[in-house]
Amino acid sequence: MLDAFSRAVVTADSKGTPIGTTELASLRRYVADANKRIDATLAITQNVSCIAADAVSGMVCENTGLTQPGGHCYPTRRMAACLRDGEIILRYVSYALLAGDPSVLDDRCINGLKETYLALGVPLANAIRAIEIMKIATVAIMTETNTGRKMFEGINSGSGADCKDIASEAASYFDRVISALS
Amino acid sequence: MKSAVTTVISSADASARFPTLSDIESVKGSFDRAASRLEAAEKLAIHIDRFTSESLDYVYGTQSYDQANKDKCARDINHYLRLINYCLVTGGTGPLDEWGIAGMREVIRAHQLPTAAYIEALTYIRDKVNIPGDMNQQAAAEFKTLLDYLINALA
Repeated sequence: MLDAFSRAVVTADSKGTPIGTTELASLRRYVADANKRIDATLAITQNVSCIAADAVSGMVCENTGLTQPGGHCYPTRRMAACLRDGEIILRYVSYALLAGDPSVLDDRCINGLKETYLALGVPLANAIRAIEIMKIATVAIMTETNTGRKMFEGINSGSGADCKDIASEAASYFDRVISALS
Repeated sequence: MKSAVTTVISSADASARFPTLSDIESVKGSFDRAASRLEAAEKLAIHIDRFTSESLDYVYGTQSYDQANKDKCARDINHYLRLINYCLVTGGTGPLDEWGIAGMREVIRAHQLPTAAYIEALTYIRDKVNIPGDMNQQAAAEFKTLLDYLINALA
């Protein structure tokens, strides 16, 4: 598992050179944006069940057959498995976001996910739809464009508008999961 | 690769929980110290060749070591300084431990190189860091901590 710093180290080591001014510039930016990164991580961890439940409900609403007998979310045991997986994916996205590097998400979540879902008979199109909704919800919470509670009132990084860059980084991690399942 | 952030994530993942407030506090702590570490890494990258040649000229100028080993010793000192540069970036001793210290003494002995010369060279670098000419006080403190770590591992 790598973070932004050790990623720079591994890259530099493959060239056998020390880490100089140019590489350090991007790491300095990472440190300077640390508060936003932390707030963005909190935006996920404080809203986990809301994000996951909304995504799964949204997926079912768009395709009501899922909860009917014979559907993939019937009986409730399978619906619960779906919610659990939503939370697991969110957890690895929150790790990747905190580390500033997708390696933890790749190694521990995405690797083998599609094969597992195929073997278990999970419909990939529906799983992808749920992840898309999670992505939209997460970005909305981070940038405070959501309805309801605003995340950043009175904490570190000021306002949601400042978190656009970090929110698009988070979105890129969801996209990684989506493209792995596609 | 071990760093402040990956350690926190590994332990959170081991118990399948989201990063907690205390996890995030400890990550934040490492960010707060990062400025002086990155400063030290940057200055070390700039001065790495000069540090190497000055310390080698000093150590091999004493005539206590076989001059034939000077180039090999210079190559290794440069290598260790590069690993220290990496450690300054990650904020942990991971790169030195994994790539510099594991098996190091055996390799140096096998090549019949004098570890004493390495220690002398590293000590020279540590004692001759010019503050603030080479780097500022806090950066030098971070750099010297890692030099001491390596010296202790070699000794």
